[in-house]
Amino acid sequence: MKIKLKYILAFVLPAMFLYTIFVIYPLFDSLRLSFYSWRGVGPKIFVGLRNYKDMFTGGFSKEVFNAFSHNIYFFALVSTLELGLGFLIALLLASKIKGTKIFRTVVYLPNMIPLVMVGFMWSLFLHPQIGLVNQFLKVIGLGTLARPWLGDPNLALTTIIMVNVWRNLGFYVLVILASILNISPDLIEAAYIDGATNWKISWKIIFPLTVPTFRTLLILLFIGSFNVFDMIYALAGVQAGPFRSTDVLGTVFYRTAFGGLGSAYTDMGLGAAVTVFIFMIVMPMSILYVYLVERSDRR
Amino acid sequence: MMRFSKYYKLLAYLVLSLYAFIVVGPFFMIIMNSFKTMRELFMKPFSLPSKFIYQNYIQAWQRASIARGYINSAIVATISVVTVVLLASMFAYMISKYEFKIRRYLFIYSMLGLALPARLAVIPIFLLLRTLNLTNSLLGLILVYSSVNIPFSAFILKNFIDSVPNELCEAARIDGASVPTIYSRIILPLIKPALSISAIVTFVNVWNDFFFPLILINDRSKATITLAVSIFFGEYSNQWHLLFSGLALSIAPTVILFLIFSQYFIAGMTQGAIK
Repeated sequence: MKIKLKYILAFVLPAMFLYTIFVIYPLFDSLRLSFYSWRGVGPKIFVGLRNYKDMFTGGFSKEVFNAFSHNIYFFALVSTLELGLGFLIALLLASKIKGTKIFRTVVYLPNMIPLVMVGFMWSLFLHPQIGLVNQFLKVIGLGTLARPWLGDPNLALTTIIMVNVWRNLGFYVLVILASILNISPDLIEAAYIDGATNWKISWKIIFPLTVPTFRTLLILLFIGSFNVFDMIYALAGVQAGPFRSTDVLGTVFYRTAFGGLGSAYTDMGLGAAVTVFIFMIVMPMSILYVYLVERSDRR
Repeated sequence: MMRFSKYYKLLAYLVLSLYAFIVVGPFFMIIMNSFKTMRELFMKPFSLPSKFIYQNYIQAWQRASIARGYINSAIVATISVVTVVLLASMFAYMISKYEFKIRRYLFIYSMLGLALPARLAVIPIFLLLRTLNLTNSLLGLILVYSSVNIPFSAFILKNFIDSVPNELCEAARIDGASVPTIYSRIILPLIKPALSISAIVTFVNVWNDFFFPLILINDRSKATITLAVSIFFGEYSNQWHLLFSGLALSIAPTVILFLIFSQYFIAGMTQGAIK
């Protein structure tokens, strides 16, 4: 339909005004700020590419790349567990067993709790001496498995990832389930008639047909994995201890831009450079995502 | 759908029950331990409380400023939800139902925000609000959340408005209905389910957020519930009985709402990712 300009403006501008001022403009302003050195007050000093030089060489680069590798590890483990387990559990729920509805509700429940509170509650459960996890292991006779889950540098990040899986798995289960239920039952019926086993049906029919969903979820998991913050903050603190073994780009950014005791580098400009770095990593995936959304929209 | 043998179903039940146990167990433990004394909590963590010490809740309620947190979160979330749903539906109506030159670019432009995490923009957001004198204020938070959540709602609502037949709007137009009338009398009533989806998702996003309050709020009286509990955990880190009651209090509203409206929540929260 054709329309007058005044209506377009009246309906489109309010949303686009807020969105531009508080989302798009700040995203680009980060780029500008990254060329300055600034404590947040006082004079801004133009330093050209020095923040980037600091980020990729010298002492700060070690911190950045240590964190970067943790983001990669986070992405790899979380996507394997959440998509793998998510698919298996969704398959179980897709069968017509009784109580599916209740299971769906239960499975989704942790997703309603703010990440930071999930972090706090597990920080109590995972306490080495009096935490419920180790006490539970002792009660069921597996006391030798008790560990300082968050105190051991080799274990802490993996533990935090497990807490993350505990919280988010339900979301992936239900999204994958929805996409399984979208498959026409006739297709599966026909396969049965041809004598296919459940195993064959799962891998040769259901899995290929849910691939588009997996693709979208992988993109979202990738973007999410480079924005991890809340749970590290709650379970390991701003210093991402022990010994920075749980440090991610999000916590590096927070310490750099907004301080936090004991950080060697505090500068808004340098912090902005860290966000630009994250931005550059995430950007290709974001473009891919927008492309996929737009393509399916035009169909 | 798939058929399973008896043994397979039994296995399915076992696996699902184990999973449900792992999910529900921690919530159960929070409630159990929130009624115990410190001593009992450490000695017998898995037993029922020998005496229900409800005073834990009163203390936690006061010391964590739970009431303040609830009220602040409710104000921020409600106003943000209304703003987002209103503005996003107006925007989605335009780019779904009318043809003008830049509409495709507008759509792509708005989708950028769906894929780019707004947290990456937090330094400039902080500076902008400081210039406007809106740091440490609920209004500042509302402005940020209203903006950040527009892309998702615009996306969901556009999909629904696309499915409203064009003939319907055309007929109304011939009958003399203006653009705003078509929006309020035809589009909005027809996309009610989508409006509730975008309202629910926005509400949960805002209510559960911690990052923006952490950076934008430094006054306890302005703290949202997540920030209030986080401050409480810092101050009372040794008083576990209070921490457990504080946790129970802070997650109760969302858990109760979810248990009542779970099907809506699930439909809403999983909707966006399927496409």
